[in-house]
Order: sequence, then structure tokens, then C-alpha cells
Amino acid sequence: MRHSLTLRIGPATFRIGSAWAQPIDQLARLYADYPDVDGAIADFTVRLQPTSAVRRWVRPSIFITGDHGLADAAPMSLAHGLLAAEMGMNLQMALGWRRHLLLHASSVEKDGRVLVMTGESGSGKSTLAAQLGERGWRLMGDEFALLDLDSGAILPFPRLVSLKNKAIDVIAGEVPAARMGPLLGATAKGDIRHMVPRADAVARMGEGGMPALLLFPRFGSGPAERPVGQGEVFMRLTQASTNYVALGEPGFAALTRFVAQVPARAIDFPSGEAAIAMVDRLWSEIA
Amino acid sequence: MVGEEFYRREGAEAIIVRPLDDIVLLYHRPSGQTHMVISPVPEILDTMADGLPASATMLRDRLALLYDLGEGDVVGEIGQHLAYLDRIGLVRPA
Amino acid sequence: MSAALLVMALRDPATTAALDATGWNSLIAMARAERLIGTLAFRLEGLGVPDAVRPILADTRDDAAREARQAIWEADRARAALAPIGLPVILLKGTAYAAAGLPAGRGRFIGDLDILVPRDRIDAAADALVAAGWEWVKEDPYDDAYYRQWMHELPPMIHAERDRMIDVHHTVLPLTARPTPDAAAMMADAVLITDGLYMLCAEDRVCHAAAHLLADGDLQGGLRNLWDIHCLCEESSERQDDFYLCLFEKAAHHQLTAAVWRALRLSHHLFDTEVKAYHVPIEVDYKLRWSDRAFISRLLARNGWGQETRKALVFAFFVRSHWLRMPPLMLARHLLTKWRKGHRPQ
Repeated sequence: MRHSLTLRIGPATFRIGSAWAQPIDQLARLYADYPDVDGAIADFTVRLQPTSAVRRWVRPSIFITGDHGLADAAPMSLAHGLLAAEMGMNLQMALGWRRHLLLHASSVEKDGRVLVMTGESGSGKSTLAAQLGERGWRLMGDEFALLDLDSGAILPFPRLVSLKNKAIDVIAGEVPAARMGPLLGATAKGDIRHMVPRADAVARMGEGGMPALLLFPRFGSGPAERPVGQGEVFMRLTQASTNYVALGEPGFAALTRFVAQVPARAIDFPSGEAAIAMVDRLWSEIA
Repeated sequence: MVGEEFYRREGAEAIIVRPLDDIVLLYHRPSGQTHMVISPVPEILDTMADGLPASATMLRDRLALLYDLGEGDVVGEIGQHLAYLDRIGLVRPA
Repeated sequence: MSAALLVMALRDPATTAALDATGWNSLIAMARAERLIGTLAFRLEGLGVPDAVRPILADTRDDAAREARQAIWEADRARAALAPIGLPVILLKGTAYAAAGLPAGRGRFIGDLDILVPRDRIDAAADALVAAGWEWVKEDPYDDAYYRQWMHELPPMIHAERDRMIDVHHTVLPLTARPTPDAAAMMADAVLITDGLYMLCAEDRVCHAAAHLLADGDLQGGLRNLWDIHCLCEESSERQDDFYLCLFEKAAHHQLTAAVWRALRLSHHLFDTEVKAYHVPIEVDYKLRWSDRAFISRLLARNGWGQETRKALVFAFFVRSHWLRMPPLMLARHLLTKWRKGHRPQ
């Protein structure tokens, strides 16, 4: 492919090829402080290719694929090329990663212990993790938490944080402009802007921690809090994992251990400040 | 009972049992499937641990020694559980 | 860069010692695209590979082992479903190789469960599968009619709880295809694997794979099919002195001489299969024919990013595969219907 870049995020290495320069240039800027792995052997190949030959030039349209792809993935406009590259990497992880149990969850660490937050898109888990990451916690990831199959530790996957709609202004007010990506307007998920995690999150991206608390956050009501039974936790985490079935028995062993050992709470919160207060209180009580 | 179905449990190496606080998880190695079950399914499987053929009536008798089974069509209920367990491969017709 | 890199690594794994990072990236991307990564991982097992490659191959071997276990379980469920109506389960392709522990099954991608049943029992088989929890994958009426009228299989079914597909075949090529293999003879000659599961006999396994590679498909996944043929031939010829003679005899009976012969030439050329030439009682050599060149180009049409190259050639093979299966008027009708629905090759 004409333009390419190799990136390492946590334990995974990606070779990203693109028919256009723009997505690669944007990635290079935002991932500039990540380890230099130019020319390394990659775990995954990501391809951003034209949906047809003419679409390289005329109303350029990106088809996201790679080692693992979805035949019916919707094409994206070149203006959203950075998002396409991020989605391409997520797709490889979701479909192809086998070295950890992958949980669709954000995670932050303090004193070597990890808070895991999982929920649907729009639950606020990503924004909450980003905010905590600016307030004394180490951001480990906003999208995937990696559960180690042997040790039971959570390992970081600190890719760019993907902020959506209202969360953009909330976070952009707190972090320097140099750590913010371009505003991608009117994507399929609304407005999106990427944020580079703090330097310590990147520097310590090989360093995991034991999970101490699992939260199911939900933005929009409350504040309210309830304990969650292990059966429900197990079921929700299997649904939040893209590789639970593919891992087979080791995945079962790791997830049942996690569920049996990590206390879980569902929290409803009306605002970011309320959520942070609830997290602080639960962390001091339980974790 | 004449004509009653007999089943035997799959070998112990085929099924991993993990009780959580409110449910029991069964991981079935040959299919790679995880099943979430509640009482009386784990108890039924326990009483079949010897791997020998058993019918719903026999299992009712064994379970009655350990638990208060109450009123109603217990044999019919156990029979339905056995049919379900057969479908997901945890027991086989003997 | 072409898939010759992948062919070389499969044929002689020691050659990978010379690869640099770009070479490894290319090899891995190609192997994934051709669904041969599991096979490659087993071929490279025990050899020194770079640190970054080792976990990729180990993951792949684990995936393959899990997939084989599940495929065998699906076969067992089909066996249980069809036993009440007295139908034995004849496994085809990947599941058969895995269940029988054949070298062709080592690391092989499996996917759907393919079984063969007699044509006059196909509706009974479908009913029994439905009773055991399989459902029709919702198709549009045109596709459904197409399958039932012209294809060699039922429309695909999926198990409601396990989410796994089954393809029920009643012969090994579409009814419209020009060669008409003798499916009844294949079923009569099937061999027992274990406990109610059967597979085609050694010669028929190669006939079927060759038919699949050359008379049926558009050479999508062709390298994997050809690797199957290589493994099947190597294994059977080692066990049985006159395997190739028996193979040609069977191929003639199934009207598949041309397909089998070409498959053997390609396999010999690309994978160094130890084929055996004959002068008596038949005249067989394995020199490449002029027409084999297009097949080889098609099989190797893949770049270092895992993308298909030579689009025109690929398209020609798509048309060719339909041409082989259907008379021209039907082809036009089918392509038109498909294209109106936005279906295009690649």
C-alpha cells in the first residue's frame, strides 16, 4: 500500500496501510510519543483501501479491512480517515486477539489496583475513564480491558481515547490542545474527537494491575447504586467480550475467577462530577 | 417404569462445574459452550456422577434421600431436565 | 510480491529462516487471507521463528485445535439428529479430516459442517435437522429456488442455539455442472471414521477436493483446497502402492479425470507432491500444460498486504465458475438477478 505506519499499543502491534496519506499523517502526529516500532513484525495488518478504484480520487470512500474484516462494513469518507484507522485496529483486536480475554470496558489504575468499567456505548464509561485519567488515576484504556488468562491481572490498551458529542467539550476544557485530535463532524456516531492519553499512561502501557472493583456505569439518572449478582455479572461480561467464545476453556477459567473475586456495582449518575464522587466513595469502601 | 428413557452423564472430563453465588456454570469441553443453570440441574448431574445409566424415576429416588422434593410431578420434571441436558450434550441416551 | 512466498513456506518451512520483518508481515497477511495461517503454524512448529512471530503462530494453533473440537462436536450432533431416521453421517472436507485425524486436517480452517446424504432422503434429512434445532437461514425466494433447483445442496441451515451452519449435500457438484460425479457410488464406498461418522474413501476424497477446486469454485480459497489435495495424496500414496492408479480409475468413473489430473499437476508444481507417472495401463505425466499457467497466476494472485491482485483474472474466473456450472442462458439470468442486488465478485 502507498502509505503505511506501524504502531504498538499495549501488547499489540499493528501495521496500517492506507491508499491515502491523510489518515497515516494524523496517526503519526497523535501517536508520536508511543514506542517507535518502525518496521517491526506486526500482530495485525489493517488496510484502508478505496471501495473501488475510482473512489481513491472521486469522493474518496474508505473500506476498512485487514487480516480480519467484515464484508458488510459501511464505507467511510476520507474526512473520517483517522476514525477509520482506529476502527480498523479495534476490528483486528475484537476479532483476532487471543492472548487475553478482551472486555469491552474502560479501566483506570491507582496504587497498583484497577477499576474496570463496562457498559453499552453511551453509558459514559469512556468519558468517566478519561476524566479519572486527568485526576490522579492512570488511564489504562477507554475501549478494551485485557484480562490476563494466567495471572488474572488487567493489562492496559491505551489507544487514543475516542470522545463523542458532549464529552468532547467536557474533556477538551481539561487537557492541552496538543493532546487533542481533529474534530470529526457528523460521523455515524455523531461528532468524534480523539484525545492522546497522558504521558504516564503511554510510558507504563506494559504494566498491568489486579482488578479491585467492577462498575456498570449508566449516565442519565440517579445518583443510585446497587450490587450486581455474580450470575448477572458473568452474563454481562460474556456479552461485553468479543473473544470469550473463541478462547474456550482458558477464557472460561479467567472470567469465572474474575467474577468470583472482583466486587461489582451498578451506578447511575446524572453528571460527571457525581460519577467521580461515587467512584471515590466506592473505591475507599470496597476496593 | 416400563419404557422409561435411560441416560448417562458425559464423562467428568467433559464438563467443568463452577458454582457462583447465585447460579452454577457448566463449561462443556467438546462443544466449547457455557451453560448457566440453577437448581435442580446441578443436583441431577451430581447424582449421575457414576456415569451409569439412570432414569428419571431412579434419579427421583436418589434425590429424595438428600432433598425434600415436595409434591407434584417430580419424575416428569426430572424427565424434562434430562431431555434438555441431552439436547445440549451433557447427558446421552444410554 | 505474490503468494509464491506462502507456497514456498508451506512446501519447505526451513526457507522462512531467510525472511526479514517485511517478509514475515507479508507471509502472515497472505496466510490469513488464504485461510492457511493455521496450516502454516503447524508447518512451522518447532522451527526457530522471530520472537514476535511465535505468539501469533501459537494463538493460531490454539484456535485450530478449538475449531477442530467444535467441528467434531457439530458432527456428533448431526449424527444424533439423523440416527433416528437411519441415516449415517458422511462428513466432507475439513470436518472429515479433523474427525479422522488426517494430516490434511492439521491446522485447517473448518467453518461450516458439510455432510452428504442420498438425494432421495434429503427432505427427510432436513426435517430431522429441523426437529433437532437447526433452522433455515433466511434467504430471499430467488436464492432459495436457485438452491433447490440447481445446486448440489440444501440452502444453508444454522443451529438456533449453537449458531453453527450445516450444508447438506446430495452430490458433490451442482446438478447443472457438466461432470456428473456418481454420488451414490461415493456414498456406497464411504469408510467408517468412528461411532456413526463416515468419510469418503481415499480416492473419492481427492476427487471431491479436485472437483471443488476446479469444476465448482471460482478458485477463491484455491490454495487451501490445493494444499488439501497435496496432503491427501501424500498420505494415501504412502499407505497404498497404486494409489494414483486407483485415483485415476475413480476419477474416470466420476467424469473428473481432467479436474483431478490438473489438480495433481498444480499440486506437484506448487507443493512438490510426489505424484507417480504411468505408461501402462494408462499414460499419465505431470508436465505443466499451457492452460495451467492461468490457474497458477490466479492461485498466486495476492500481495504482501493480503490483498487480491490481478482483478481482471479474478473476474474471469468468477464468470468461468458459473459458466462451468450452468448453461449460458441460465448464467445470464443468474448474473442479472445477482447483480441487480448489488452482488459483485470482490
